[in-house]
Formats: sequence, structure tokens, C-alpha cells
Amino acid sequence: MVKEGEPNIIKKVGGKEETRKFLANLGFVTGGIVTVISQMGGNMIVNIKDSRVAIGKEMANKIMV
Amino acid sequence: MAIKIALAGNPNCGKTTLFNALTGSNQFVGNWPGVTVEKKEGKLKGNKEVVIMDLPGIYSLSPYTLEEVVARNYLINERPDAILNIVDGTNIERNLYLSTQLMELGIPMVMAVNMIDILEKTGDKIHIDKLCKKLGCEVVEISALKGTGIQKAADRVIELAKQKQSMKLVHAFAPEVEARIEQVIDLIGNDIPEEQKRFFAIKLIEKDDKIADQMKQVPDIQNIISLMEKEFDDDTESIITNERYDYISSIINECCTKNKEKKLTTSDKIDRIVTNRWFALPIFAAVMFLVYYVSVTTVGSWATDWANDGVFGEGWNLFGINSLHIKGVPEYIEAGLNAIGCADWLRSLIIDGIVAGVGAILGFVPQMLVLFIFLAFLEACGYMARVAFIMDRIFRKFGLSGKSFIPMLIGSGCGVPGIMASRTIENDRDRKMTIMTTTFIPCSAKMPIIALIAGALFGGAWWVAPSAYFVGVAAIICSGIILKKTKMFAGDPAPFVMELPAYHMPTVSNVLRSMWERGWSFIKKAGTIILLSTIILWFLMSFGWVDGSFGMLEAEQLDSSILASLGNVLAPIFKPLGWGEWKMAVAAVTGLIAKENVVGTFGILFGFGEVAEDGAEIWGMLAGSLTAVAAYSFLVFNLLCAPCFAAMGAIKREMNNKKWFWFAIGYQTILAYVVALCVYQIGTLLSVGTFGVGTVVALLLIIGFIYLLVRPYQESKTLKVNVASVK
Repeated sequence: MVKEGEPNIIKKVGGKEETRKFLANLGFVTGGIVTVISQMGGNMIVNIKDSRVAIGKEMANKIMV
Repeated sequence: MAIKIALAGNPNCGKTTLFNALTGSNQFVGNWPGVTVEKKEGKLKGNKEVVIMDLPGIYSLSPYTLEEVVARNYLINERPDAILNIVDGTNIERNLYLSTQLMELGIPMVMAVNMIDILEKTGDKIHIDKLCKKLGCEVVEISALKGTGIQKAADRVIELAKQKQSMKLVHAFAPEVEARIEQVIDLIGNDIPEEQKRFFAIKLIEKDDKIADQMKQVPDIQNIISLMEKEFDDDTESIITNERYDYISSIINECCTKNKEKKLTTSDKIDRIVTNRWFALPIFAAVMFLVYYVSVTTVGSWATDWANDGVFGEGWNLFGINSLHIKGVPEYIEAGLNAIGCADWLRSLIIDGIVAGVGAILGFVPQMLVLFIFLAFLEACGYMARVAFIMDRIFRKFGLSGKSFIPMLIGSGCGVPGIMASRTIENDRDRKMTIMTTTFIPCSAKMPIIALIAGALFGGAWWVAPSAYFVGVAAIICSGIILKKTKMFAGDPAPFVMELPAYHMPTVSNVLRSMWERGWSFIKKAGTIILLSTIILWFLMSFGWVDGSFGMLEAEQLDSSILASLGNVLAPIFKPLGWGEWKMAVAAVTGLIAKENVVGTFGILFGFGEVAEDGAEIWGMLAGSLTAVAAYSFLVFNLLCAPCFAAMGAIKREMNNKKWFWFAIGYQTILAYVVALCVYQIGTLLSVGTFGVGTVVALLLIIGFIYLLVRPYQESKTLKVNVASVK
């Protein structure tokens, strides 16, 4: 689990190829820095490469930090 | 020769604002062929020779979303003279990812760094001259919102387009990767222009399965790919992605000075509260209540009353002063027709058919415009994206996405814009499901039916109207669960990923423009489909056989009309629902034009020319011909069955597929029939104790329905968008 407001380095992005590629296009790549802004029942709003992205629970679980 | 310029950039980078600023009102909005992705084209203000194409907002030129495929096929096949790439300066790293791909297409490009005013406030700096050198393309600073720098951007891009020199690529990846790209370029045949070869080579290396459709001969590069994957111990697409980001970081380090004090931005602070796990729903409910309250009950209903009863009714008083009475449109038209000595039948067609039918629909326009202003504001300021996020948790449970909430909310005002709002849902399956279920929510035109039934048979009981909403919501939830388990919709629900734009104050002109675009497409619909169907229905109602001869009928002779004959044919179908009289069948059919017509039709059928909106005059007669249970069954059927023609037209347009259109209409009507049947049969069993064949059928249907709800989930992969067919 990650704390809100703390920067984390992405270790690995899992999941199906298509979703992984989509996440990569949005900036979720290994080594990228991601900060959780708020959480709601597993769904999250995160800051990645200076943009805010909302991701669902299933997605968020596949991004390892 | 006209100059074609493509506007490309990430979603939410201010592309549409810039497009509006550049083109003003010279816009043409349509669809990209074969898909429901909006296509916007416009002529540059002050230079009609320049055509600007607004490409859909995309994050990359990969083949994963429809928008990306549409944009990339346009760039490859149509080859615009230049690209104006808009980059959000506050988020430059992610935005440059797309830029690096655009530059590989060989099309001359100018980069416009947007939101320069916000950058100044935060204290971050982008060194334009360095960026220019590093990227090898012209860079200008703009603020689309404030209008600064956009003229310069336009001038530069036109100049570049006129020079017709293809883009010289400056950037390079790591030497090992470059060597492999060179190898692939050599293998590509001459069907691909020289300057595009690098783009194709990289896409081939990335194992992009859609790129082959664009090539006459596809070289086999399997061995190169496997060599590369061994070399880097990674898959080729990740290698390229990493190379791009490495390259971008090297640019960023040199060209940007970030304000060292990293504090939370205003948007982050707002998000902390607005999407907080405790406050999110209450805040959302308050916002929605306010929007709904203003646009439906206060300003909205005032506007609708004015339009329906005033402009398209008995006329109205300017500023509420009696002496400034302005007559209604029908009166003017009638006076005009009388003056030219128009034939009776033609006058009847125009006044009772067209003006009454189309007027009834246009009467809702003011109310809708009020609602659209609010929605446009919420969308433009960035809150709508948060709504989707907040609602996703709930909607996910029955197979819809959080984004489905917005169409349904709009649908409670009118189904047509509601269905049109489903465009914002990228996932094909979620979008189709939303289109099919949105009209279950009672729209404002269904209110008179509810008022009529509640008044006539339930003594105006308070619970009838809320129960109608409850039926609508239950229909959506059950449909979501049932449909998700059918083959057509099965599969993993699309993961929720959505960029949340920074909060900002939208400009008045952008809000008004968005309101008008939606309102206008509704008005156009009223002028086409509805106009045609009102004429047909008028004919069916006004002509028939009296005493063996065919001719035009008086209003009181409606029971001899063609429509009545049709009603008699249809009536037995509705017998099991408890309202098998032809008048009811006819009323339900006229509801297809506009739902509030049901009340008006009853008025005519029961021998009253004009009735109030809730049909108070006919309450007694209606109560005499229907039982309470049958009336509720009638209500349920009309709430759930196929919507009015206008909404059906919208469904057809958004589905963009005949088969899906009929499936949606058929599903809605069958569901309405089944639910109404169960309501009547079970209701009669409970109230009177009648038990018959119908009761058994109803019980069986309920069992079947419950089975569909709880049956195990089946995995299937049949529903896939065929992106290859997108030209």
C-alpha cells in the first residue's frame, strides 16, 4: 500500500499487453515517479509526469512501486 | 491551392480552445467515416485558403484506441501540409511523447507550447530557443485561453506549409536501436515515401498489428525483432517507449527549469477535497441537485412553459405585461394560412400535424439549453472527469462505467442529448450498453404521462412519480447485469483510466459554443425525423373510412381513422398487459413521436379537443376504462419501451450500425412488455385474486428473469472493435 502524497518509483507494470501499452503512453513506465493524490475504495488519482490520472482499482493493483 | 493544417495534441491540452480561437465560427463538425469519433474542420479566420483539421486528442500514434487510429490514418494517408502540435507546457514531458512520434511522419511541424500564462505563475520556465534546437522544429509560446501568441503560431505554420519541405529529424535513439531501425528501413519497399519510412520502420519494430494494412508489401522483420529482444532483454515496444522517454528526459533537463519548491498545485488541493472518500459523494450530490434544481424546476420549467404554452401555444406577454401580448406561433401561422385562403386539409396538416408535433419538441429547447450550459461548464472546468471517477465504483458493479452517469443525468432532461453524451465513453462495450439503457430514465416528456396516471387512478398519490424513477433505475441496473452476461457484452470490463485535466475557469464563449453545438443537433433532429413522422401520423389520424367512403375526418371521428384500424390490430397484443383497448394502443403509438403526446391523444380519443398537460379533464373517463393495476402497467410500458423518434434517431446515429440499433430498440420494447405484463398479472392476482394463463406466463417470466440475473458469468471475446475497417 502506498501513502498519499509520497512520491514512489514504479518498479513494474503488469497486466494485459494492451492495457500495459496504454499505461505506458500515459507515462506509467518502469522507473517513472508516481504520487498518489487521493484514494477512494481502491480507485486512485495519481500524479504522473506532472499530469493527474484517475485509475481504477484493477489497474492500480497492477502498477508495482 | 488550399493549405491543409492538422491540429494534433494530447487530450485536455487546450486543442479545442485553440481550434475555436483560430477558426471562429467557420467550422464544420461531422464524423470520421465508419466510427463515432468527431471530426472537426474549419477555415482559418482571415485566410479562407487555410483549412484546419482538428484531430482527436491522443496520447500516442499507437493502435490501441479508435481516436489514435483515426488520427494516424489521416496523417499518413491525407498528408496535411503541416502539423500544428499543441503541447501543454505544465505537463511537457508526457506531451512530448506524442510529439516525438509526430515528427517521425516527415510532415513539417510547428510546436505550440500552451498554458504559458500558468507556467509564469508557477515559476517554471521553458527555454524555447533551446527546445527549438533540440527538437529541430519551430517552437512558439501561446496561451489558447487568453489568445496570446496564436496569430504567430498560425503565421509560422502557414509559412512552413508553403515551403513544402519535409521535416528533418534531429532526434536519435541509442546507437544500437538506431542501427536496427536502419536495417528495417532498408527492407521497406518503395510504396512508402522516403520521409515516412522511419515511422513505418518503428511501428513494425513495435509489432504494431494495424500498420500492415497501410502497406502494400510488408517486410518480414521477425529475426530483427528477436535479435533486439535478446540484446535488450525486453520486448521491442517497451524498448522504443523507453528510448522515447530517455530522449525526452534529456530534453527536459536542458530546456526546462522547474521551480524548486514542489508544493501541491491548486488542482491537487481541490482534488483532495472533491474526490475525498468522505466528501466526494455529498459534494457531488449537492452539485447535481443545484444543476437539476435550476435547469429543471426553476429556470428550466419557466422556460419550457414559456416555449410550450406561450410561443407554441396561446401566446405570451412581453415582460409579463398584459398589454404587450405576443401571439403564439400557431396563431400567426393560422392567421397567415387564413389570409391566403389555404385548403382545409393543408391547414390541418400544418397546424395540427407539423406545428403541434414539432412545436412540442422545440418547446423543450430552452430548458435543454439551460441544462447544457451547466453541463458545458462542468465539463470545461474539469469537474465532469471527477464525476466519472467518483461514480465508477458504483457503476462498475452492474457492468457500466462511471462515465455512463453523465448520459443518464442528461437523459433525465431529454434522452436525445443524453444519448449523444455517451460519446465521451471510449470503451465500445460500455458505450453501447449506456446508449441502450439511458432512455429508461424518465425524461421530462414522460412526466405528463406519470401525472396523468397518478392523477386519474391513484388520486395523485405522492409515490407514483418516485416509483417511475425507481422503475427506470432498476431497469438500468438489471439490464446492466443481464446484458453483461450475454455473449455480446461478455469479457473483462474495460479498466478505468482517465486523465483528469487541471481545474480552470472556462471562457464564456467556449461554454456557449458547446451548449449551442448540442442544442443545434437536437433542433436539426426536430426538423427532420420528427417533422416526417408527425406528417405520417397526422395522415393516419386524419383520414379514414366513414360510411364506406375514404376521406378526411373531423376530430371527433377519430375512431374511424386509419390509426384506429391499426390500433384495433395492435390492441390484442396489449390485452395481456391489461389495456387491450384500441385507444390505449393508439396512445402508446403516438407516444413514439413524443412521449407527452400520449396525454394529448387520450384527450382527443375521449372526445376533448384540448386537455391540460396532466390531462385533468379525462381523469374520470380514464379511471372508468382502466383498473389501477392496468394503468400502472400502461405507465411502465410507456416508460421503458422504445423512446420517441428523436431519441431513436440519436440511438441509430450513435450506434452507427443497423443491427445494434434494432437490437437496442427490440431489447427496450421486449423488456417493457415483459415488465408491464408481470406488473399487471401479478398485480391482478394480488388485488383481485384472478389466476389464469397470463399469471402462469408472468410467473415463468419472473423466474426466467431471475435466472438471467443470477446465472454465472460467461467469458467471451466476441465483442471487439474492428479498428482495421476504419479508413
